[in-house]
Amino acid sequence: MSYLDSPRLHFSGFFQADVSTINNDVRYYDVAAFQPEYQTLSLGDGGGSWNPTGTGVFRFVNCQITGAALHGKTLYVQSQDPVIGMSLQNADGRAPGKLVDLDPQQQAVSQIWGMQVRLTNGRFRALFEGDYLHAAFINLWQRQQSGVLADQKLAACYTSVLENVQWNGDADSPVLAALAKATEPGWLAIDFNVFGYGRDPTIPRYTLGHIVGTIAPYHRTEPRHFAVGRQIAAPLPADNPTAPAHGVYSFTCKVDRARQVVTADFGNSLPIIDANRGLVDIGTLLLGVLKQNPTALLTSVTLNDFINLGQVLYRQTGWYQQTAGIQEFPYGSSDGAAAILDDHALVVLRPHGGDTFDVLVQETLGGVYVRADDYVLRLEPGETGGVDFHASCYGQPLVGAAISVAANNDMIGGSGAGNNPLDPPVVVPDVGIPTDGVRYAATVTTGAGGTAHLAIASRPGGPGWPRGYIEGQLYGIGYQLAELPAGSSVNAWNFLSVLAYSQTDMPSDITWHGEIQPIFEQFGNLYPIMSKHLVDLSKYESVVEHRAILKLAFGLPRTDPNHMPVTRDMASSMRDMILKWLDGPMPRGTPAPRVAVPPTAVAAPSPAVQLEPNQTQGKSAFLLETQARLAQRGRKP
Amino acid sequence: MIKLQRAFVTGVQRAESREDLYPYLQNAIELEHATIPPYLTAMFSLKPSNAGIARLIGTIVRQEMLHMTIAANVLNAIGGHPQTNKPEFIPKYPGPLPMSIGGTGFEVGIAAFSKPLLETVFMKIEEPEHPIPVKRALAAAPDQYATIGEFYEAIMAKIRALGDRIFVPAAVERQVLTWFPRDQLYPITNVETACSSLEIIVLQGEGTNTDPMLHPGDPAHYYKFGEIVAGRRIVKRGTGWAYAGEPIPYDEGGVYPMKANPTLAGFPRGSQARTRAEQFAYNYTSLLNALQRAFNGEPAHIDVVIGLMYDLKVMAVALMSTPLWDGNGMNAGPCYEYVTALSAAES
Repeated sequence: MSYLDSPRLHFSGFFQADVSTINNDVRYYDVAAFQPEYQTLSLGDGGGSWNPTGTGVFRFVNCQITGAALHGKTLYVQSQDPVIGMSLQNADGRAPGKLVDLDPQQQAVSQIWGMQVRLTNGRFRALFEGDYLHAAFINLWQRQQSGVLADQKLAACYTSVLENVQWNGDADSPVLAALAKATEPGWLAIDFNVFGYGRDPTIPRYTLGHIVGTIAPYHRTEPRHFAVGRQIAAPLPADNPTAPAHGVYSFTCKVDRARQVVTADFGNSLPIIDANRGLVDIGTLLLGVLKQNPTALLTSVTLNDFINLGQVLYRQTGWYQQTAGIQEFPYGSSDGAAAILDDHALVVLRPHGGDTFDVLVQETLGGVYVRADDYVLRLEPGETGGVDFHASCYGQPLVGAAISVAANNDMIGGSGAGNNPLDPPVVVPDVGIPTDGVRYAATVTTGAGGTAHLAIASRPGGPGWPRGYIEGQLYGIGYQLAELPAGSSVNAWNFLSVLAYSQTDMPSDITWHGEIQPIFEQFGNLYPIMSKHLVDLSKYESVVEHRAILKLAFGLPRTDPNHMPVTRDMASSMRDMILKWLDGPMPRGTPAPRVAVPPTAVAAPSPAVQLEPNQTQGKSAFLLETQARLAQRGRKP
Repeated sequence: MIKLQRAFVTGVQRAESREDLYPYLQNAIELEHATIPPYLTAMFSLKPSNAGIARLIGTIVRQEMLHMTIAANVLNAIGGHPQTNKPEFIPKYPGPLPMSIGGTGFEVGIAAFSKPLLETVFMKIEEPEHPIPVKRALAAAPDQYATIGEFYEAIMAKIRALGDRIFVPAAVERQVLTWFPRDQLYPITNVETACSSLEIIVLQGEGTNTDPMLHPGDPAHYYKFGEIVAGRRIVKRGTGWAYAGEPIPYDEGGVYPMKANPTLAGFPRGSQARTRAEQFAYNYTSLLNALQRAFNGEPAHIDVVIGLMYDLKVMAVALMSTPLWDGNGMNAGPCYEYVTALSAAES
């Protein structure tokens, strides 16, 4: 069961991501070089970027159930089922969820933490409610074709589950009843697409974007962060994983033999005009199954080469909001489809005239695919974590398949915000060093079910402080099936991002000037909304005054929305030190400073980056840097 | 003189059982809560240049929170059930305080910090039964009104009359006992602990009849607001008191230009101000929902309330920095409304 199964709820509305933007430039972590103007709003180079006083809050805004699928029927008006029009909300008894980057040098796996999701109809405050399992977005691509200055034109999707799901009340809704019955008790699958995000402080959409999504049954044997199924992979230029060659991005299908239905998720694969005006009309689109499997990427086919499973209905008014882009294609009456569907490639086609059809996207060559379920790890020194790979061939488990694993830092690193000069200058640290900071096998082989576990261990004592002024180290780990058909198009986002925390040894005598103040000053620099209005973390008196709340926040688990630091980038050993100090005697009056040893920054070459006008910030800047790096290294997918 | 409808005092006096006291202790919780939104707003509206004043107001707000918690603990101690998660729990601002505190026509609103606000509203709320003259004389209250002090005295007298038997032995587990000093927030198990706790409320709010100071350097609320208005700390002068101590600097430019008495409905749909105000109201509602749990058998849940409280401040600052584009240079402000569903945001 996954979000591609039935019954499904579809929702639509807005989300708010009130992220802080000062920490988008890794160089601002250097306390010694920090300047006050780095905290000011700036829509160009430098400064604190477009939201320096961001709170980190992520929440749904005005999200409603706009459609549902039950027994092969699409429902979209209340007379069909009372669940239509109900409100999908977040926690009403605790702080809202938070959205945080893994690191300024890896901003392409931003995770939502501590969010609750709750369905209410006004009468019942929670027909169901559950905890969103923290998840990172994936499949970031240049989906928005035009828009206002500073719009975030990149879009992405989030796939995860709700845990600890509780059902209350009775809404007399057949869809809800069927959903509750179909799903694993205590769980639900949830997937949503985010797009049209506004970064211009003068428009109402500032910090808001559009969201459409799906809630469906979940089964605990399934991966939590993607749906196992048929993987339709867009060909991507070597130096830009965000620009699919034919304008349609990768997506997943699932074949339900019992119901004789192919369910396809176009939710994050079709381009949008601008933030608000819906999908671009790119002509008639068909989903088809090829009669002969291709051995290379195709550009066109003829009428005799495929069986048409049906038109993609994306041009119908309201389709996207009512279905979140998920469409079912019954194939029972398609002549011959049932016979070949299990092992023949799916394609999206556009009539070219006559008998010719353009191939916009096609299933992976040979139908083979591997994905890590969770792909973002935080590792304490000496900790062994890991990921679960799921390999498949035409959606079926691929048993005995070798998966190659190797360091790949192509998609991480850089300043995070371009290479405009700073005064004083600050070196951009290298990522991925020391190379043995994390250890893992070079190959794992899938067992029954097509799954394989890869253990990833941070070395005892952690990676040290290789980045000088910023804690921890980032490691990119690439993975791929060892035997991949030649000419395969691979998803450049399918790699692992690991943040290995540095070790902080507990000093026998923890002092404000020696250990605590440098940490808090950095924090205060990067989160002025907190340091200016709640606790001035750079001032001893202020910290002492607020020690109780600081103890609470630093002591909360990472999954709690009030966890400090909000970025969840601090090692336990450092938090333990802070907590121990907060528990200490803390005399009134600022203690005398003692001479601190400055950390040494490592030198690192930074590629020259030509940033596009108006897209010099945040994720865009991070990606443009990535592209420059890929081009420089001549990387091939 | 601060006053409330005498009917509430006579109502307490007529109580015959612990159950009869429940509505009055619920009134006390609502009363103590009612002052928090206006005080908080004034505090939130101060920019860092007025951090000194903000800190003084902050100490008052924290004590109001303490008072609300004490009232809830006393209610729990005698077997009652506080309720904070309902729309009526929040007074309508601008409007009268619970129990018609302040008398006919006395309304409290939500506004940015100003000295007149403190003098004409906050000091009136906190006014002692017999204020110690520190500069000026004050008008007497008509007979149909009683003071907040009298109200609490009546509750204490009734608790003494009903005796230790009204206390529920297992109720300590339901009491919130963290986040405040142990000598101010402690288990309520009998007449003595209930009355000494309620005494703290009266004392911190009004001070004693003879001394405005709770502790040296720490005046009761009324006099603390007086200090801010006068711009100087209160000190002893001969046999009396004067606002003649250390200056309390005030930067008039260091206040967010917040439009008074903001309401959700008053902000255009789809505007930044509306979106942020809804977020604030949603968070405030969440806080009251969390408080409901903390006051009803899950006292550890107070940590969640504290987390929401801190988020609330950050949201208030964001809101007060949001221009209304109304031609007057005013910014948005916090809406203390109980919401269950958010309205439409538009692009």
